This record gives sequence, C-alpha cells and structure tokens, in this order.
Amino acid sequence: MTDFIKDPVILMPERHPEPVFSTEELVFTAEETRQIATWVSQYPTADGAIMKVLWMAQEKFGFLPPEVIRLSAGALGMPYARAFGVATFYTQYFKSKKGRYVLDVCTCFSCQICGGYDMLHYLEEKLGAHAGETTDDGLFTIQEVECLGACGSAPMLQITNGPYVMNLTEEKIDALIDALKRDQLPFFSSVTLPQDEDDLGGNRRTDVRDTLTYSAPPVAKTLG
Amino acid sequence: MPTVTIDNQEFEFEGNPILLQFCLDHDIELPHFCYHPAMSAPANCRQCLVEIGTPEIDRGTGEPRLDEDGNPVIRFFPKMMTGCSEDISDGMVVKTHRSSELVREAQKDNLEFLLINHPLDCPICDQAGNCPLQIQAYKYGPEGSRFEFRKVSKPKHIELGPRVVLDAERCINCTRCTRFTTEISESHQLTIIERSVWNYPMTPPGVDFDEPYSMNVIDICPVGALTSKDFRFKARVWEMSSTPSITIGNAKGSNCFYWVKDNLVQKVTPRTNMEVNEYWLPDEDRLDYDVFNENRPEGPTIAGQSASWDDAKTAAADLLKNVDANGIVFLGSAFACVEDNYLLGELASALGAAAPSYIQHIEPGAGDGWLITDDKTPNASGCERLGIRPLDATLLRSRIQGGDVKLLYVLQDDPVAAGICEAADLAGVSVILHHTNTTNETLVAANVALPAATVVETVGTFVNQDGHAQRVWPSKAIRGVNRTLSMEIGKSRADKHGTPFDRWFDEDHLVDCQPGWVVIPEIADLLDIELRFKGPRDIMLKVSSENEAFGGATYDAMAEPGVRLVDVGAEV
Repeated sequence: MTDFIKDPVILMPERHPEPVFSTEELVFTAEETRQIATWVSQYPTADGAIMKVLWMAQEKFGFLPPEVIRLSAGALGMPYARAFGVATFYTQYFKSKKGRYVLDVCTCFSCQICGGYDMLHYLEEKLGAHAGETTDDGLFTIQEVECLGACGSAPMLQITNGPYVMNLTEEKIDALIDALKRDQLPFFSSVTLPQDEDDLGGNRRTDVRDTLTYSAPPVAKTLG
Repeated sequence: MPTVTIDNQEFEFEGNPILLQFCLDHDIELPHFCYHPAMSAPANCRQCLVEIGTPEIDRGTGEPRLDEDGNPVIRFFPKMMTGCSEDISDGMVVKTHRSSELVREAQKDNLEFLLINHPLDCPICDQAGNCPLQIQAYKYGPEGSRFEFRKVSKPKHIELGPRVVLDAERCINCTRCTRFTTEISESHQLTIIERSVWNYPMTPPGVDFDEPYSMNVIDICPVGALTSKDFRFKARVWEMSSTPSITIGNAKGSNCFYWVKDNLVQKVTPRTNMEVNEYWLPDEDRLDYDVFNENRPEGPTIAGQSASWDDAKTAAADLLKNVDANGIVFLGSAFACVEDNYLLGELASALGAAAPSYIQHIEPGAGDGWLITDDKTPNASGCERLGIRPLDATLLRSRIQGGDVKLLYVLQDDPVAAGICEAADLAGVSVILHHTNTTNETLVAANVALPAATVVETVGTFVNQDGHAQRVWPSKAIRGVNRTLSMEIGKSRADKHGTPFDRWFDEDHLVDCQPGWVVIPEIADLLDIELRFKGPRDIMLKVSSENEAFGGATYDAMAEPGVRLVDVGAEV
C-alpha cells in the first residue's frame, strides 16, 4: 500500500495466461455440485451463490486462477466476466498462488498506533519475506491489510481468512509460527471489553474454546 | 393531471417518468455520465444530483399539509438524490443547479472527484471536442483541482478486441460499456475488474472483446477511455462535418452519421432512430466506408478510354438506339436508390424493353435477427416495391451465352462478380455500366462506363427490409456542379461544432461521378424520351402519389426519421 502511494502505477494483468489446472482437474465432485444446488436454492437467482461457490473453489484449489473462476461461473450458469469481476473485487479471494498460511497483518489506524507495523516488520524479518511475498518454503505469505474490525485487541493478524490472533507480541508471533509449522492452527478466541467484563462478570461466551480478557493495548515503538 | 415543479416551473406529466429523462426531454440540461436511456440506471457517477421534495401528508387525514398561505408543505429529502434513479411523483418539487446553490456545489465537487485521477491529455485524446466529461467539467466543474499528489497510472492503449482500444486512465467507471455487453448485446465480454482506484473495464482473461456490436461502447463512453482502433488519431471532431444518412451494408438501413474530412469519409457513427436501429450500429456497418474513399472512378469511359460526360452519354444513347428492344436487358440495383431504379424502369418501358430486374445479394445465415441481415443490399425492398423483381441468373446466363442479349444496361452492380456470367461472355454484348468503384469486375467488358454517386454523394430514398423508407443527404461533394446536390449539402450540414475547418470544398478527393437521376434523364433526352424531373424530390413526389407501395414517402414526410410504408406483402 505504501509503495502504491509513492508510485501509483497499476500494471496490466496478463490477458491470456497459461492455465494452471488441467481440464481433468477442473471439475466439481457430485457432493460439491449438490452443495452448490443447495446454495442456489437460497437465493432469488443462481448468480447470488457465486461468492459461496468461489469460496468453495478457493478451498478446493487453493486459489482462483481464471479457469477456476470460469468453472465456478459455469456451475451457476452465469457469465464468466461477471464472476471474474466479483472475484477480483474481494481481496480475500486469492487470484495467485499463496503460501499454505496467509498472515494478514493489520496496519490500519488503530493497529498502527498500537504497533501494527512493529509486528509486521518483526514477522517480515523472522520469515525473511516482505509483505506481499511468500517464503521460499511455500509455507507463509505475509500481507499487509486494512482494518479487520478487531481494534479493541490491536495489534492483530488473521490467518488465511480464518482465525484472528489478537493482542500480538513478538513472543506470541514466535509461538504462532512454531505452531503453524507443526500445522496447529490457533482457535478463534473471544475478547470482551473492560466495561462488559465489569457488567457481565467476565467473558461468558460458552460457544468458543478460548476466551481472552481485555488488556490495555501497547503503543507503537515509534510513538513510545 | 399530476404535476411536478422543477425550478419553480410547473410541468404536467403522464405515467412514471424518470426525473433525469423528464428534464432532458424538457430541455433542462442535467449533467450526467452513467445514465443511458436504453439501459438500467446504476446511479454511480453521482453527477445528476438534485434536491427533491415531496408534499408532507397528514397521517390523520391522508391529505397534504398546507402552510399558512394554503400551499402544500414540502419536505425535502435530507440528502440530494440522483435524478436518474428517481421516478417523478405527483406534487414533487425539484431544485436543479439552476435554482440551488447546493446542487451547483455538489456538481462541482463531484467533478473534482471524477477528475482526480483523470489524465489531462485532452490535446491528444480522440474524444476531445465531443466529450461529455470535458463539456461538463467546463460548464459545471471547478476551476482547478486541490489534488496535489501523483495521479494513478493505469494501463493505456490496450486492444480489448480487434476494434476497440482501452485507455484505462481516462475511465470514470460509469459502467455504460459493461452494461451494454450485459443488457443490450448480451455478449458478457466486459466487466469492471478490481476495486477502488484499481478498477476499470476489462475482458476476463482468455476473452477478447470481439462481438459484432463491440464498437457501440465507443459511442456511449462518456470519456475517451474506449476509442476506435480504426479511427484512432485520424481526425479531430471539429475538423469533420457530420451528415445524417443511413448505412448500406445490409437491408436494415441503420441510421448513421458520416463524418467527412477532406472529402473522405473518416468514420461512421450511429444516429438515433427508435424505429430502426435505436441507438446502435453493428461494427460491420462502421468499417465498410472504404468503398466511398478508395478505388473510385475518375470520370466516364468509352471502351476503356476516358471520355467527357457528354460523349459518354451520347455513346450510351447511341447504343440503346441501335439495338432492338427485345435484345436489351436492364438490371436495376438494390444498391441504388429508389429514384434511380424508378427512372431505369421508366426508360426501359419507354424503349419497349422488358422491365428491369435486380441481382440479389443474400448471404444465408449472416444475419442475427437484430441489425445485421442476410441481405447485404440496402434497397431490395425498394426495388420490389417498384415492381423490379429478383434476377433469374440462370436464365440470363443462358440468354447471354445463346447470343439473345445484345445490350446489357447495369445500374450500380457487378454481374461478373455476382457470378451471373464471365467477362468474356460479354464480348458480343454492348454493356452500359453505372459503377461506383473501379474494382467492379464488369468494368472490363463495359462499352460505356458511367461513374455513379454512392450513398454519401447523392440524394435518394432507400427502403429497408421492414418497409421503412429513408432519404439520404450528400455527405461529401463530387466533381462538377449540381444544383440539387449543392442545396442539399447546405441543408444537411447540421454542423454541431461550428468551425470553418472542415475541408468541404477542397479540390482533393473529389470523385468525378454523377447520380443516376442526373444521367438517366439525360440519356433519355438524347433518345427523345420525356423523362425530365426537377430533381429527386420531384421523382419521389410522383412515385409516392402513383405507387401505393410508396404512399406518403415524400421528402418532406421522410425528413430524418423516415416513413414506415404500408406493408404490401403479397402484392410485391
């Protein structure tokens, strides 16, 4: 993002890229097709289910090259161009191959003043890859993202469009990377705000495995 | 009748009009970019913001509340609304930029936003001079910009397809082009990709924008983002004159403008006619203008040798005089106008020869049921209505080979290229040919060749396959003087740009040709046949009064929209 502000150049995407997947690979299984039919029945028109189908395709193929978007559009009988517009609109749909874990570090306003960039730079140094890049072993992709809506627990990061890791510290990042290398994905943890804890007598959520109590956020190194 | 008040002026309305369209229809200019009457209104350019209020209704009585003066109390929406997405309702009060400072400021600010990343390359942009963004920024925009950072650079000169070039920087994301491919042509080849400042229209990977109507997006693009690959950098809009006319590539007779510079047709754009082509024009109709510019004849010839018009007409008359009427075959033409075909028919009957027939040019399967037809001629229906029948090619071929035909008179067609006969077969036949291009393969066999004016040089009437009679105006000048053409040129020049730079009377590129309605009466005169008319206007007066298949098709009645003729169906 920062590079873009300095040098705001948008490059031309490749018009006719070589397909990544073969035609034999590009199929939805019978079960997936049934699932799609269920989703379609939940919307007024079949087009409505495109986001769910793309999501499923991303989980199946890992990312969404054009031929997978075409497959998803075809499954709903909607124009490929329209599905492509949807897929490119959302950053959570990966249009290129990513590492096994995508670490989205928030550097938006709240996280930034609480050390979001400190965490990002620590992670970059630790993994030897810059934001937007994938480590050589193909395990991790680091991304710098805008607000993920967890400002109360800043700084934070998100793992592959999934669980949040909040109240980040360098030690927490070390532990997280070790766990991910062992393929242990952290669980979603619920955080309450202090006033709620006073009123409610602590975090009373029972539907999550981990609950965290509120802690005063840190201050970014450059500010402290 | 329900009423709406726009800028303190009351209008009556019927039905459920869209506010923006209603304003435009009543000569109230509301700036806008994304709205197009033929397509859905996404209201995403935000340029047509107006203040809208509706009468306050007392919930108890269901009647409008009245103020102390007895006028209904108007409650305005807290924010300005887009005129393109708002239906007019009874009692509505609208304030446009003409009466509201708020609206003026909104228009100004909105344009400042639209121009933030818009490049300032108007001097090299094809759209300049005819650009809604340029015009509206000038009329309603701010005097400068407060944006002091580097503008975003986006991909430029991308060939989206074989005919359309994209300059993504200039795009303001009005989505007219993507809505055209979604709602009108339904090719679904374009979409807006990416998000925020990254987005612009694009084909998805592996797809080319090659549909047969792709060039329409160039006309509806309100900026210079989509330009024609063919026309790019050829001429500025103020250097050309545009003349209302019709296209002749097929039997739909789509309405168009011919844009002329230096007496050469530079481009063809659609002209709105809701009865024929609405707002659109297929690509093939836009790109076949080379026939007007290239391979044009340089004056008449007698046996291949250049001759004066007088000599050529005399030679033609002599040929006609010295042949028995039974040996003369007249070929009318579905490429020529009704007037020329009518005169040819009159000439044939005065000579006692058989009535003319015309060569059909039908490509089965070429049509699409919309603006592209199987029939590749503009006036087959006009010929039919004159009683000119399709030619029996086999019969004519055998008659020519059997030596029955002594003289072949061809109006604007090419029997050799059409496969009726070989040029060698015509060795023993005298041929009089009105030809428009030197590529005409019958030309080598012509004893007298009389260059004919094409649709851009003549005045005439064409009838499309649906029976819509439309007249054309001369778009460019020919060599030599013709009073009718000069007058019609003057009338046709709805010069929107009002500058003296077009090279209308430049001596270059003037084609030495004459319309059929000049040449045929003069030949008839030499044969002592009475076939004098004051001009094509008089011919159509006579045709429309005598022939009920042309009832009402006078020049005054046709004007620019044309006249829908009665369906004579089985009679023709």
